[in-house]
Amino acid sequence: MTATLDQIAPAEGALARRMRFFDPSMILWIALIAVLVFLIASPMVRLVVSSFQEPETHRLTLANYAEAYGRARHLQALWNTFQFGAGVAVLACLFGVPLAWAISRTDMPAKGFVRLMVFGAFIIPPYLGAIGWILLAGPNAGWLNKVWMGLTGAEHGIFNVYSMTGLIVVVAVTSFPYVFVFTSSALDLVSTEMEDAANILGAGTLRTTLRVTLPLVLPAIVGGLIISFLEAIALFGAPALIALPARFQVVSTQLWQFFEYPVRVEQAAAYAMPLLLITILMFWLQRRVLGRRGYTTVSGKGGERRITQLGPWRWMMLGYALFVCALAVFLPMLVLTQAAFARAWGRGFSLDNLTLNNFRYILFEQTQAQNAIINTFVYSGITAFAAISLSLAIAYVVTRRLVPWSNVLAFLCMAPFVIPGIILAIGFYAAYAPPPLALYGTATILILAYTTRFLPIAYTSSAAGIRSINPEMEEAVRILGGGRLTAIRRVLAPLLKRSLAGAWILVFIPATRELSSAIFLVGPNTRVISVMLFDLSEEGNFEVLSALGMILLAATLVIAAIGFRAIGRDFMVRSS
Amino acid sequence: MARRPIPSRREILTGASALALGGALGARPAHAEREVTPHQKELYELAKKEGEVTWYTAHSNDTTAQALGRDFEAAFPGIEANAVRTTAQVAYQRLTQEQKAGAMQVDVFSSTDIGHYVALKEKNLLEKYLPENSTKLIEVYKNYDPDGYYTVTSAGLIAIGYNTAKLKEAEAPKNWPDLLDPKWKDKIALGHPGFSGYVGTWAVSLKKLYGWDFFEKLAKNNPQVGRSINDTVTMLNAGERIVAGSGPNGTAMESAGKGNPLAMTYPPDGSVLIIAPSGIPKGVKHPNAAKLFMEYLLSIEASKIWVGHFNESMRPEVKSLNGAKSAADVKTIRPTVDEIVNGIPEVIKQWRDTFGV
Repeated sequence: MTATLDQIAPAEGALARRMRFFDPSMILWIALIAVLVFLIASPMVRLVVSSFQEPETHRLTLANYAEAYGRARHLQALWNTFQFGAGVAVLACLFGVPLAWAISRTDMPAKGFVRLMVFGAFIIPPYLGAIGWILLAGPNAGWLNKVWMGLTGAEHGIFNVYSMTGLIVVVAVTSFPYVFVFTSSALDLVSTEMEDAANILGAGTLRTTLRVTLPLVLPAIVGGLIISFLEAIALFGAPALIALPARFQVVSTQLWQFFEYPVRVEQAAAYAMPLLLITILMFWLQRRVLGRRGYTTVSGKGGERRITQLGPWRWMMLGYALFVCALAVFLPMLVLTQAAFARAWGRGFSLDNLTLNNFRYILFEQTQAQNAIINTFVYSGITAFAAISLSLAIAYVVTRRLVPWSNVLAFLCMAPFVIPGIILAIGFYAAYAPPPLALYGTATILILAYTTRFLPIAYTSSAAGIRSINPEMEEAVRILGGGRLTAIRRVLAPLLKRSLAGAWILVFIPATRELSSAIFLVGPNTRVISVMLFDLSEEGNFEVLSALGMILLAATLVIAAIGFRAIGRDFMVRSS
Repeated sequence: MARRPIPSRREILTGASALALGGALGARPAHAEREVTPHQKELYELAKKEGEVTWYTAHSNDTTAQALGRDFEAAFPGIEANAVRTTAQVAYQRLTQEQKAGAMQVDVFSSTDIGHYVALKEKNLLEKYLPENSTKLIEVYKNYDPDGYYTVTSAGLIAIGYNTAKLKEAEAPKNWPDLLDPKWKDKIALGHPGFSGYVGTWAVSLKKLYGWDFFEKLAKNNPQVGRSINDTVTMLNAGERIVAGSGPNGTAMESAGKGNPLAMTYPPDGSVLIIAPSGIPKGVKHPNAAKLFMEYLLSIEASKIWVGHFNESMRPEVKSLNGAKSAADVKTIRPTVDEIVNGIPEVIKQWRDTFGV
């Protein structure tokens, strides 16, 4: 799909005359539908159908549902998941929205640094963060608890990472960057004119912020909220690390059990249905609540953005920002770094505990790690390009309503979010692993699954970008005789350059850390770092695991930096 | 195989890593003449054309698995060894997935749940191969499957581990029922039978000794349940928990060698001896490399590595390291194959009801 726009664009010169009369949108639409059917509909339909089938005979049955929901334990896991997702979404907003506002709209000091740390939080995979927090807040041995016990003489620590609250915090600190990115890019686009109007009419800073600025970016906040929620309930790694020892299950860990021997794909499919319904419900709600309001605030007419003077409050704001950064980055990274360079992390910070052996082991002795590192970045890079090209094309078709039923395209694009990665992987596995495609164990199946999995992120960014651009500019092109493709190439693409760079990184980074869809699709030659980390985490080999995690983070940082230099402006590290 | 005068980088690294493991490999001459029979030479020639072998193993921790993989590569240059270490149930899950998809990735499958082999053999999904080296094993490991579909390639002990920084030897639990004492509330770490074949077999053994009631009571002590049996060692090292109810002897002793405060007690009612076979699934891509790897796993060199990492030796020629207990030194118990095959799925269910996960 990478080629859709590019391939058509060169034809534009030669066929310019005809293009003026022939709108190629129908062909585009058919092509897009075909790709989406392949990536999303086919595995999903297979999923739904198999939930009603007997395993061997394929006869229709409801037995899978009876089995999947017949146990109190399974119902409890569903409820746990809902609590977990809601908790993460709310907490992610509490972290993300104030930070976005402070950086985009106020004179808070050290903005560049805070931005950098938010970016840091974004590249730390949830399971790596979870391991950091196990080292920090393990009820007996966690560093924070040790410090607390040392200070107060208490016999027990006060934090317990092995709990629902623990899981929520751990995941929220890695997913608040979604809310942050959505909110701040929306804030960057809201012109001050409207705030000025409120001020002139007598509203104070706080009132203006709460009644004008934030409501204007509400779609972005809700978008971030929904993504945090859906991302959280689809996670597998962090719950496996924290929920199992805490002795509760969530849907993803429960789904894993259906894939133990004997594999019960049909029951798993039945069990995955509520998540699908929840997502559909959320999109319906979003539409219902926000759908009718107009939010086009970027027009070709300019408009300026001024920052709010916070006075002494700016230090408070910075304090809060640093608190969030500490939870998300400083503390976990500190302990992970210690573990990566430690002979035995439990022995603490001392010189005789320092070693490079963990890195040497990973880089030279482990038979798989070198390949896994290369695979991870190659697959993620390709995925990012594929997902963005596809989603941009779709977002354009949908926002400009070029074809009837365009919402179907939008829904298909967003649907993968609701399929937990594990289920997506099984859908892919069932649909494309056996002949005729026989993709099992190949890089192709991983990249396809990644592309599908991250399509919603790519689509949300692309759609937000396109929606924020008033069609009047393209209409101007068309009135002056340019075709739609000229408008896209000359007007839309330059305007979207930064959004696209952002979208690339928004897909690339989660792809480097993607675990749940990879875990059923990797073969020994296509292993990626996340799966290796997961396998290492089974036996709790935290020193080696931290070392591999460090390598992942360092390489991600470098590639992201190079990517942004190449594409254009840097992303979250720019100073506003 | 001809002796090579210059050690490769991998060999040096393997040797160095071995030295780092508490001098464990000091016992292993880096360049002992390997015994390579004509049969193995023949396999080697065929295997070279295949170029690689993929080994799914739950037999040991990752360090040991990688050391074996690297040593195999050193012994048979030109064949790359992909050692993929996971828990037994995860390895089996991947294997069954590959079989369903008709795209075999694995060449040699080393689970710790004997039930897997029985099921595979029943469905005619294993390649018959009786390694030449299987006649040279320690007596108890011979003829595990008289039909030659799978062969014992490793063994290990499960006993009780404890953190010596937090617990004196005299205070440590001595026997399995001691774990039920309320004083161990919030202090015990366990693996999970739904992941680990070792833990599954351990649970079957203890259920046989004391009834499921034992686990009901154990649950009241609120143990921390991880996944792999090796995870309990991490929890002890961290000081998060101080007693490993299902303590893997090999991993714990290896970790103690690295300087972690760990020790084992061997219950008078019997340490659980795990006997774990390997087999070659039907339709693998590298059948000759797989056979060669099976031979390698039963070689003296492999046993030296096993012992260097505190697992059991497969060969009578290789003795355990000074101070390390092996199955010969303590009382061991072990369920029959039938008991494991039928018992593990059962205890996984009961475990989930009792422990909630």
